[in-house]
Amino acid sequence: MRIRENHKGYFFIFPAFLFLVGILGFPAIAAVLQSFNLIWVKNPSFSTASYHRLLSDVEFLATLGNTVIFVGLVVGFHLIIGLGVALLLNLEIRSRHFFRVIAILPWTVPDVIGGLIWRFMFDTLPGMINAMLLQFAIISDPIDWLGHPKLAFGCLIFAETWRGYPFAMLILLAGLQAIPKEQYEAAEIDGASKFKSFIYITLPNLKYMVIIAAVLDTIWESRLFGMIYSMTGGGPGYSSQVLSLLTYKHYFLFFNTSYAGAIAVVLAIFMFTISIPYLVMTMKRE
Amino acid sequence: MKKLHIKLAHFLMLALALLFFTHSVAIAESVTISYSDWQLAQDIWGRSLREAIAEFERMNPDIKVKTEPIALGQRDVKFTTAIRGGKGPDVFALDANPVKQYIKEGWVKDLTPFIEKTGDSEWLADFYPVSLMPVTEDGKTYGIPKNVVAMVLVYNSEMFKKAGIQSPPKTWKEFRDIAKKLTIDTDGDGKIDQWGATLVLAKACFDLRFSVVLRGHGGDFLTADWEHSNLNSPEAKEAFNMVADMILKDKSMPPGVAQVDCNGARRLMAHKKVGMIFGTMWTITEVAGMNPDLHGWKVLEMAPVPQQEGSQSKIRSTLYQKSLFMNPNTKHPEAAWKLIEFLTAKKQMEKWFVDNNMLSCRKSVNDGFGPILQSKYAAIVTEEIDQHAAFLPLMPKWPECLETFRQSLQAAVAGTKEPDQALMDAHNQIEAILGR
Repeated sequence: MRIRENHKGYFFIFPAFLFLVGILGFPAIAAVLQSFNLIWVKNPSFSTASYHRLLSDVEFLATLGNTVIFVGLVVGFHLIIGLGVALLLNLEIRSRHFFRVIAILPWTVPDVIGGLIWRFMFDTLPGMINAMLLQFAIISDPIDWLGHPKLAFGCLIFAETWRGYPFAMLILLAGLQAIPKEQYEAAEIDGASKFKSFIYITLPNLKYMVIIAAVLDTIWESRLFGMIYSMTGGGPGYSSQVLSLLTYKHYFLFFNTSYAGAIAVVLAIFMFTISIPYLVMTMKRE
Repeated sequence: MKKLHIKLAHFLMLALALLFFTHSVAIAESVTISYSDWQLAQDIWGRSLREAIAEFERMNPDIKVKTEPIALGQRDVKFTTAIRGGKGPDVFALDANPVKQYIKEGWVKDLTPFIEKTGDSEWLADFYPVSLMPVTEDGKTYGIPKNVVAMVLVYNSEMFKKAGIQSPPKTWKEFRDIAKKLTIDTDGDGKIDQWGATLVLAKACFDLRFSVVLRGHGGDFLTADWEHSNLNSPEAKEAFNMVADMILKDKSMPPGVAQVDCNGARRLMAHKKVGMIFGTMWTITEVAGMNPDLHGWKVLEMAPVPQQEGSQSKIRSTLYQKSLFMNPNTKHPEAAWKLIEFLTAKKQMEKWFVDNNMLSCRKSVNDGFGPILQSKYAAIVTEEIDQHAAFLPLMPKWPECLETFRQSLQAAVAGTKEPDQALMDAHNQIEAILGR
């Protein structure tokens, strides 16, 4: 059997396509079917009750708000800190490779382990942070870092900023290294200051990289689970709970599979919407 | 020469075929089943269970048991996913909380035919009738009860003596007063470093420990028929406010109590940071093991859960039960049943007490085994099991109701809601869950 030349590509990507459908497509379809109470329940019957419930569930709405704030702040901090560190590591300094390895270390820590480490650090009684603050007489009584809603949420953002900034840093560092040196040389000849070079050369050249880093990081942070589960468990109350945690709770703790499916679908739509700029940009570049 | 080679080759082929055949027969005769239990991951319990399983394998050379330890927090995630996917361990352990959901979804096998096959109509009669409640539905038995305990107050008698306290609290007023007395600065640096008590307000083990506060006040989470929330009762309000006041006003519980789980509470007691916690038989083993300098077996004492003055309620404690279940997907039900039968037999029940200080679901063991009869701890806990303890609601919606309550309590303790408002919110949300 002869395969036309222009169809050969489809032939080669077919196994990968099948693999993707199996690995990604099947669970996605299953989640949608489950959200309508159609599979994996004793008495399947089409129902939109889970979606109606979403609209009136105070906990879901608060968790959605938490997720948006958490993702927005963490991604923002990742980009700011990532860019700052990338600029430093792009300088012609001695041992910069060593510093690059050091800077990337938090990214190598699994999120559950990261959560546990920070949980112990922020622990009220034996925690290292309180111990240091007490030692230097900065505070007189231990602070209940993870016991107060706002503090717990802040600690979580701090910990995830620490763990995740190297991702943005790596992408931006790659972008910085790709900027032609001639542009800076020309700017220098024209008498541009370092700041102006940064504003008019560095940032425009990094535009695509920033969008890529922001979109990928947003997707990553939106589905973050391990760090939050192990550090605060979504508490106190549900003050630091995000959608991935709420989905887990309803699916595995409360066995509300249909409702968990509906939350997962909302989360998937949220992430897909965020990834549109990335997809559009990738297609345009191609 | 060539003929000899052919003969030799034939002989070798025959020998290989024979070897393969005998090996296949051996494989066919021996079955391997898997057993999963969160206590396999624990030091003392794990060793004890493995010893028992080794004994089982010796007695049943045709059955091999593969042990599968699992983290308690991941237990239901793993079991339910695997069972829905047609897999999972042949035999597994569960506490009472999720059992009704497992039965409802068909995630556990009906063991009634196996029990009938034992030919002993009295086989189940040895178990406490109350212990059969969680594992029975519509007259069918889905699990075999293994260990049962009731929650009690565990206190450090040395701390009590130092503070001049003569006896453990009988009422909640006494409990609160003693907690205040025990909250002191022990090293004279001007900072409080010992607290009266701690509760468990984190997710892990919250249900057993907090329920006794409600029940001791004469209240409960739900009404007796489990149809409605009971959190709008004056008793529930009193219990809720007492906890909030102890944390926020008296400060007789350590800072960060909202994150304290059962292990955290034990650690605080082991290191003499708190004088009272709610626990049970295993608390002594665990706390004593965490800090040998405490001399836990000598210093730690037990007392019934305090009660509100004038309370007429008989129930003040909560039952914890561990039972064994068979996976409906098992390919070796007979072997799985043999293992369940073995692990819940009288002899093993005695071993669980000797090794782990755990009481049995078999009444004959608790009432007749010497070491249990001589144990000061067992005397208190068995009396609670017999007369003053009940299970938490055995229904599928219970985990969601409990978590809703816990979140409200945390909001009150964190000061983001007034205790009364937090309790009323919990009441309304639980009503909504139950009405769904």
